[in-house]
Amino acid sequence: MSDAKVERVYCPVCLAKFKYSEGWSEGSVVVCPICGERLTLRKTADGWIGDRVDRGTEKEIRSRIDGFAEIRGYVFNDVKEDIVEGLLGKYKRFGDFYCPCRMEHVPEYQCPCKPTRGGDVEKNGKCHCGLFWKKA
Amino acid sequence: MAEKHKIVVYALSTCPYCKRTKRFLDDHKVAYEHIDVDLLDDSKQDEVLDKVEKLTGMRSFPVVVIGTEHWVGHDEQRLKKALNL
Ligand SMILES: [Zn+2]
Repeated sequence: MSDAKVERVYCPVCLAKFKYSEGWSEGSVVVCPICGERLTLRKTADGWIGDRVDRGTEKEIRSRIDGFAEIRGYVFNDVKEDIVEGLLGKYKRFGDFYCPCRMEHVPEYQCPCKPTRGGDVEKNGKCHCGLFWKKA
Repeated sequence: MAEKHKIVVYALSTCPYCKRTKRFLDDHKVAYEHIDVDLLDDSKQDEVLDKVEKLTGMRSFPVVVIGTEHWVGHDEQRLKKALNL
């Protein structure tokens, strides 16, 4: 057994830490396996942190939701474009990509929201907003 | 007829289903009042949220009020029926 501690990367979107993989280094662009965000790795005194790639742009949120859908095997329907527009509205008016179908502007409702990361789509067939759908 | 009833849509400025309800009413040239609850200032927002919660028992949008009838969500069949479209 190795006594090396497993290194982790902090994701500023879902506020969780995921496992640091072999072959990564400072400046590597990786995808958060929990929320789908693209992150540039940076080493700090407190460990690895991911910086959001293209932060605050349409490119960022599209790549995040596409990445999340790919990781989980979810699909979209024709509401997607309206929801992306809503997400951009949330960023503009409330400072981040919060769920466009909710009033609350708190980290746990950053899209994909915590209930969605926790398996709501498996349970209900879709997320609260109807962005992510379970494959039929 | 539609004109007889006051129509109010409580919405969030960012919610896609709220947008669809508004678009449906616009497309059918129905006059209505719409309130984007997320864009109200705090005290006004509390007041409207209270009203919505009393009416529907929840904080989901859109809320459509037509005369004495109301419901939560974008529902074209219901809109058509309530407005005789
Ligand atoms: Zn993440």
